[in-house]
Amino acid sequence: MTVAAGLGYALVALGPAFSLFAGVVARKPFLVLTLLTSTLFWLISLIILSGIWRVFLPIRSGAWWPYAILILTSVAFQEGIRLVFWRLYKKTEEMLDSFADRISKPRLCLTDKMLISLAGGLGHGVAHAVFFCLSLLTPAFGRATFYVEKCSRMPFFLVSAIISLGFLVIHTFSMIIAFNGYDERKRSDQVFVPVVHLIASVMTLINLAPGGCVIGTPLLCVVGAVTLQYCWQMVWRRLSEQQHRQFSS
Amino acid sequence: MALVVLLISLLAPPSAPGSAAAAAQPPPPVTAATLVYLESPTDTPGQKLVGALLDAAVFVALVAVVTFVLVALYYYRCTGFLKNYMRFSAFFVLFSMGGAIAATVLRRLGAPLDAATALVLLFNASAVGVLSVFASAVPIVVRQGYMVALAVIVAAWLSRLPEWTTWIMLIALALYDLVAVLAPRGPLRMLVELASSRDDELPALVYESRPTVGPASGSSSYASAMGSVEMQPVADPGRSGGNQYDRVEQEDDSSRAVVEMRDVGGSRSSIRERNLEREAPMAVSVSGHSSNQGGSSQHAVIQIEQHEEGETVPLVSAASANNAAPNEEHRESSSSDSGMEFEMFESTRGIKLGLGDFIFYSVLVGRAAMYDLMTVYACYLAIIAGLGCTLILLSICKHALPALPISILLGVTFYFLTRLLMEPFVVGSSTNLVMF
Repeated sequence: MTVAAGLGYALVALGPAFSLFAGVVARKPFLVLTLLTSTLFWLISLIILSGIWRVFLPIRSGAWWPYAILILTSVAFQEGIRLVFWRLYKKTEEMLDSFADRISKPRLCLTDKMLISLAGGLGHGVAHAVFFCLSLLTPAFGRATFYVEKCSRMPFFLVSAIISLGFLVIHTFSMIIAFNGYDERKRSDQVFVPVVHLIASVMTLINLAPGGCVIGTPLLCVVGAVTLQYCWQMVWRRLSEQQHRQFSS
Repeated sequence: MALVVLLISLLAPPSAPGSAAAAAQPPPPVTAATLVYLESPTDTPGQKLVGALLDAAVFVALVAVVTFVLVALYYYRCTGFLKNYMRFSAFFVLFSMGGAIAATVLRRLGAPLDAATALVLLFNASAVGVLSVFASAVPIVVRQGYMVALAVIVAAWLSRLPEWTTWIMLIALALYDLVAVLAPRGPLRMLVELASSRDDELPALVYESRPTVGPASGSSSYASAMGSVEMQPVADPGRSGGNQYDRVEQEDDSSRAVVEMRDVGGSRSSIRERNLEREAPMAVSVSGHSSNQGGSSQHAVIQIEQHEEGETVPLVSAASANNAAPNEEHRESSSSDSGMEFEMFESTRGIKLGLGDFIFYSVLVGRAAMYDLMTVYACYLAIIAGLGCTLILLSICKHALPALPISILLGVTFYFLTRLLMEPFVVGSSTNLVMF
């Protein structure tokens, strides 16, 4: 377990994000800015949350309910942050549109909006992966590996990398779903996102049970896949609708 | 684009100071920053605080005195002396400090290298470095590379300072920077104004972020685009705008501009056609869907992305209602003229970031790297955010701004917040494999 293992774990967690970044985001400076902003947003939210929870930590008892409360508050807070982010984005978009009108350039089209929401979500996901997985990964570059007591089958780093990957997918694509939902004022999409986030977080509670990570981690990946599928369907529907409208007009 | 270049080169320093500092933990050397007080781990926090404050005061005073001397020299036009002094100092930094760090790294890696070869290599490297930093005929990549190398070396050297001294010194320097640039008689401000009034080249270490004029365009079109931009008259500071779109118009008028569309995804062709229709009067001779194979070397390749309008907007329209605000990062070339350490200012031709800013950013990140990786990421993000804020402010104020204060203060705040609040939380929850 040396550099190869560490690199492998890092790539498991961040590889898809990296390819998304290189393929989509890095070409457009505005998307890079969006990504950085949302990463910063997520970091600030994490700091505030940990500031609140600092008093109660570390949790010594083996009970699971403090973790459940922690997860509930965190998810609620982060969904609130998502709303704030949406407001901010909306303001920026208005400014962009008025600016585009002034210099008589076309406004942002649908795909642009989706790209922006993708960048925002990617920022959240990358921040999650970086702070929860990558920052703990330094020992993995050494000669040993580490097993958590409750999960003796898989190395800790592998589990956390896979979980980070799942959350990265969920964060990234649920941001697209959420932005579309807010845009269309569709209730189901708006509810879908926090529910998915909550379900995914509750999945990680399974890891507290002895040997639970063998079950919890694949389940989390399934949730990520479901989010991806839902997002794909929604984007497909929007795009085909738009194309249809363009045809008819 | 230039912003991306900037980010990448900011990213580059952190690893090196971290590794070099981790590799070498000798007793801290006695330098200018530790003249008064040398921290030892057994002291009480109060003692450390007072000592660190003294250190920082001495260091800042030294920096201020040196800056004043330099400004005075420049004022009385001793440029020959200044140039030679800068050359010597760059050489010295590359040769001795870089040599020491290279030796440490070699020892750390256990790579055998005999002294004669090492000396020859080192001498060559530093000679090329000095030439490339101060001569104009060197590729910009090489120059930027050496700039970053200089910054890394100095930062690695500085991050060997004791911890308290580092933090206090960073904050003190940020404050000093604020004063020196913004106060009416501040030395750096005087320097910048002098340089811009004389409109000549100041021998100073400035990292210029030259735009990448499109990865698709070859070097010839790159050069000609630079030429065409540099031929433009320098706008006076009052109207330091030179709006990007003005320039696009100008170059369109000369009717040899190839407009290369790189639009956004899906509805590609429609946007393209719309834009081409608009550009049609000017670019009709070369337009069409194969518009970018103009081929002949004097075509300046301008890239208009649909997004690129957008990307200046948050910076611009947040700043001012009229769109005369300067745009920062795109496709403007910057010729190296003036500027001094700690300076980030923008002419019509791009942004320039003083090398000192790089150095102290790297010191901050390197110091954070000695604690944990998490603090590194947090500090890095904070520095970038501070840079972004400074850029926004820059488009409001339109004169030279200090780049250190916002970034450094944000960085230090985030460091301590991360260290005190976030780390136990994140480590506690993720070692239990509970995440959200």
